[in-house]
Amino acid sequence: MAMASAMDLSPPTFFLSGTSTSSSSPSLRRLSSISVPGFRRHSYRKLQILCQATAGTEPQSGLSVSGSKLAARSGQDRLLKVPISNIRNFSIIAHIDHGKSTLADKLLQVTGTVQNRDMKEQFLDNMDLERERGITIKLQAARMRYVYEDTPYCLNLIDTPGHVDFSYEVSRSLAACEGALLVVDASQGVEAQTLANVYLALENNLEIIPVLNKIDLPGAEPEKVLREIEEVIGLDCSKAIFCSAKEGIGITEILDAIVQRIPAPLDTAGNPLRALIFDSYYDPYRGVIVYFRVIDGKVKKGDRIFFMASGKDYFADEVGVLSPNQIQVDELYAGEVGYIAASVRSVADARVGDTITHYSRKAESSLPGYEEATPMVFCGLFPVDADQFPDLRDALEKLQLNDAALKFEPETSSAMGFGFRCGFLGLLHMEIVQERLEREYNLNLITTAPSVVYRVNSVNGDTTLCSNPSRLPDPGQRKSVEEPYVKIELLTPKDYIGALMELAQERRGEFKEMKYIAENRASILYELPLAEMVGDFFDQLKSRTKGYASMEYSVIGYRESDLIKLDILINAEMVEPLSTIVHRDKAYSVGRALTQKLKELIPRQMFKVPIQACIGSKVIASEALSAIRKDVLAKCYGGDISRKKKLLKKQAAGKKRMKAIGRVDVPQEAFMAVLKLEREVL
Amino acid sequence: MLKTTISPIFSSFTCKPKTSRLIFRAFSKVVLQDTPPSARRNASTNLTTLHQGPPTSAYVHLPFCRKRCHYCDFPILALGTSSSSLTSSSNVYEEGKEDDPRITNYVNLLVREIQATRTDYDTNPNLETVFFGGGTPSLVPPKLVSLILETLSLNFGLSPDAEISMEMDPGTFDGQKLKELMKLGVNRVSLGVQAFQDELLKACGRAHGVSQVYEAIEFVKDCGVENWSMDLISSLPHQTLEMWEESLRLAIESQPNHVSVYDLQVEQGTKFGNLYTPGQSPLPSETQSAEFYKTASSMLRGAGYEHYEVSSYSKDGFKCKHNLIYWKNKPFYAFGLGSASYVGGLRFSRPRRLKEYTNYVADLENGTSNWCGNGDVDLKDVATDILMLSFRTSKGLELKEFGEAFGSEVVKSICKVYEPYVESGHIVCLDDMRSEVMSDEFKTLVANDEVKIEDHVRYLRLKDPDGFLLSNELISLAFGVVAP
Repeated sequence: MAMASAMDLSPPTFFLSGTSTSSSSPSLRRLSSISVPGFRRHSYRKLQILCQATAGTEPQSGLSVSGSKLAARSGQDRLLKVPISNIRNFSIIAHIDHGKSTLADKLLQVTGTVQNRDMKEQFLDNMDLERERGITIKLQAARMRYVYEDTPYCLNLIDTPGHVDFSYEVSRSLAACEGALLVVDASQGVEAQTLANVYLALENNLEIIPVLNKIDLPGAEPEKVLREIEEVIGLDCSKAIFCSAKEGIGITEILDAIVQRIPAPLDTAGNPLRALIFDSYYDPYRGVIVYFRVIDGKVKKGDRIFFMASGKDYFADEVGVLSPNQIQVDELYAGEVGYIAASVRSVADARVGDTITHYSRKAESSLPGYEEATPMVFCGLFPVDADQFPDLRDALEKLQLNDAALKFEPETSSAMGFGFRCGFLGLLHMEIVQERLEREYNLNLITTAPSVVYRVNSVNGDTTLCSNPSRLPDPGQRKSVEEPYVKIELLTPKDYIGALMELAQERRGEFKEMKYIAENRASILYELPLAEMVGDFFDQLKSRTKGYASMEYSVIGYRESDLIKLDILINAEMVEPLSTIVHRDKAYSVGRALTQKLKELIPRQMFKVPIQACIGSKVIASEALSAIRKDVLAKCYGGDISRKKKLLKKQAAGKKRMKAIGRVDVPQEAFMAVLKLEREVL
Repeated sequence: MLKTTISPIFSSFTCKPKTSRLIFRAFSKVVLQDTPPSARRNASTNLTTLHQGPPTSAYVHLPFCRKRCHYCDFPILALGTSSSSLTSSSNVYEEGKEDDPRITNYVNLLVREIQATRTDYDTNPNLETVFFGGGTPSLVPPKLVSLILETLSLNFGLSPDAEISMEMDPGTFDGQKLKELMKLGVNRVSLGVQAFQDELLKACGRAHGVSQVYEAIEFVKDCGVENWSMDLISSLPHQTLEMWEESLRLAIESQPNHVSVYDLQVEQGTKFGNLYTPGQSPLPSETQSAEFYKTASSMLRGAGYEHYEVSSYSKDGFKCKHNLIYWKNKPFYAFGLGSASYVGGLRFSRPRRLKEYTNYVADLENGTSNWCGNGDVDLKDVATDILMLSFRTSKGLELKEFGEAFGSEVVKSICKVYEPYVESGHIVCLDDMRSEVMSDEFKTLVANDEVKIEDHVRYLRLKDPDGFLLSNELISLAFGVVAP
């Protein structure tokens, strides 16, 4: 406690690690909400430089003199080998804002892995970034040295992404650990996202250490939250640690508990190499950088390594540890965590979950749990300016180097021209990619409404997958359509139960279960179509509960639904990008909303323009744009034609920005607004 | 060979051989690319019409008004009702009374501008048209008008049968003043009547009433002005279809041989702009406005007027020669506050404020003004000018000339864009003899890549009134083709 009180004097520090020079979406460490954008690569680079500056610097104030010196010495010895029995691999499970990054920072600081002075600088950077992007960036992994009862230990913190879109990546990170800290805000309680990750950790047989954070806050109710954890998760909380990462309270207790309670890795260094990839990103200079945990055997610089799932082999140019910046070492053995740079050309060759073995001495079997990425959400991306099509292709290819889950194929549309149909893990993933394309590659894109993958059973017995509404086979050819369903768990204060149930019902949700996880908080379980979540569901969830509810979903399979294709006809011409697949019950309201919006957005033409929403040939909603009767016929007084000419030029330029649907000029903005509306009303 | 074909056009630009070569290159590229030798020969004549010889027309801006009308955003100078050149309506012009110094000073400045206007043309043909616009030019004392005409004559030469028009407002002249102006050579009067209803005239802030309109018509007729025009404005606030029909009927009854019908445009910064929103009461709706336009077209044509330009109607032989210069994209001088000239390929607008205009005249005298183009033109600009001006007229766009100047492909593209509107009846196709080419035939011609459309369709014109009503929409489509 002496150390803790000394630390009270130090300013609260956060730490942002930049071990990565990239930001591929799955490796993106974000605990943010769906609406957050991606971030630029240069931010990362800057951070990396700061991190590298940490080695060998003198400690600053903040820790008590003896403590800080001790920590610093220990920190600088962190590359020294320890016996496998002295290695502890762990991750931190926490809900957004529950203090994960603060705790991680503090652990790095107390173990001397990062010096105070550097942390201050990074603290500022971190906050700027967060302010700008509204996101929390996490480190991927950090090797720390901690001396417990005069014995040095090597602690590896492996970070996990915080969003459900990346639950596969979370599960691989957890599979690389033997234990996890479950960090819960003592004033907030357990959130849905936390639950999902705890269950993943339990599936991986991790030792879980409950930590109640922010106990110094006036609203903290640690006893109540402990009960919640015991009841909801069924964890024994008798040895839970009370801490305040911000104030430095309980940090040594946590470090001690990691050593005491988390099991050491098995000593299998003699076995053939098997290393689990838990992250990878593309570095333009060194190729893919692979983060891994050695499960069996050892790997050293120069080894010819083999990726068992992709079947690719490379030479390990560089082997090292993350502490938190990349530091080269000669060899890593079972239990250790590190990185390899092997001039791998694409992350698809070294995907998360793949097993690294030696080319010449291959392991008999790969590590379990590897999965191919299956995109769940699709949308069309079209450049506003058709000339940008090649740029868009290049940009997608570059992103794919870093993001094995991103799928795309060319698509053409009568109204939008050439573009791509892209598949994403989920909505956040989709938004990150869109954002990066626009921000980093300066592309101006039209995004069609996101769609899920439908399974179409044809009358001839074939089953086909359809992710593009305009490609849905004709009703005559299809026997039935199935759509993906998700199981969704909502955690909410009880005041908002009604509002959430209403939301779920509106979205064709099927109520499954509700239970009180605490006197004032409930968990509600629904099953609903993924398509209903692809839209503003999350925003609605937040706005209807004033931000108090949290959610988690997982795909549970396909179900047959009464789905139909809703087409939009402008002046009797079908507008493909505006076609949507909707449930029959919703067709009318969607059709009405779309036609009304289009009427607002399309400028009047020289003739009357009907705007219709149709199911097959049946018109279910209709609006009409009246014809322009008269232009401004100002004379060119005294031969002065300049104003008139300006007007005509402006008008011509306006027409150029429009897409001709038959004889009707539809402005790009109309497409964008309607697609946005689709997301809202669907 | 090429050079000899083209060179006559530029023979007049003696002083600027460098520029001439520039134009030569620009035009030769467009004109000579894919055209056979015969077309090249034609091209040279076309280019003279498309382009620049010395102007034979002059616009003279006389900005004085008694007060500003509520719809007006022209550069004017309001004198107020106390001005010495205006007295009672019965005796608006008094010989021997002292002239308003503001008018005298302005005219002196104007005369300086005319005198300082020098061009480098080899030949200086006489002016064939002069147009006094305003403002209210009829407020200017005849002796000052005389000074202006003399200066023009001295500086450029004035053809003995030149058309000399003057805009005149009811209540600002009498028979005597008109006679005097006619003696000076003014031979065309454009009478700003605007409406035949006192309440409407009042509502738009006109300085005269209906009785003065009738008086003015009497003066014009008594003086034997054969060539006179009447201005009317449609879509005024509170105007009904009945009122509009009445105005048109009374206009026809007074037998002008030219009528200009202007659709009210509500301009920002005017009183109307502050008070009203187009299409909303008390202004007529867009549909009503269109109805007014159509009514004017049918009534005036029914009374024997030709609708030869979007807002102009004339009896046979009485088109306004000066305005035709504009529609034909021919060069013209302009003098006075805020006026726009087109000389040497440059469209130039003079300052709209008196002080800046005064400085401009001084610059001109010092030779530091660049009011006159050096003949270096942007082809797209010329093409769009020709499109917007030609389509305002009932003659329409001459495809052959246009194709020779800008390429057959451009003609083809314009026709492609217009195909739906030929079909919908907004645009009319005419052959050499000006008989209509039917839309089916046009469609076939457009679809056939082998065919040069201009060999079969000589003119495209906007249909009266449906095409004229949507002229901006239609012309901007062609703009999109020419200057994408």
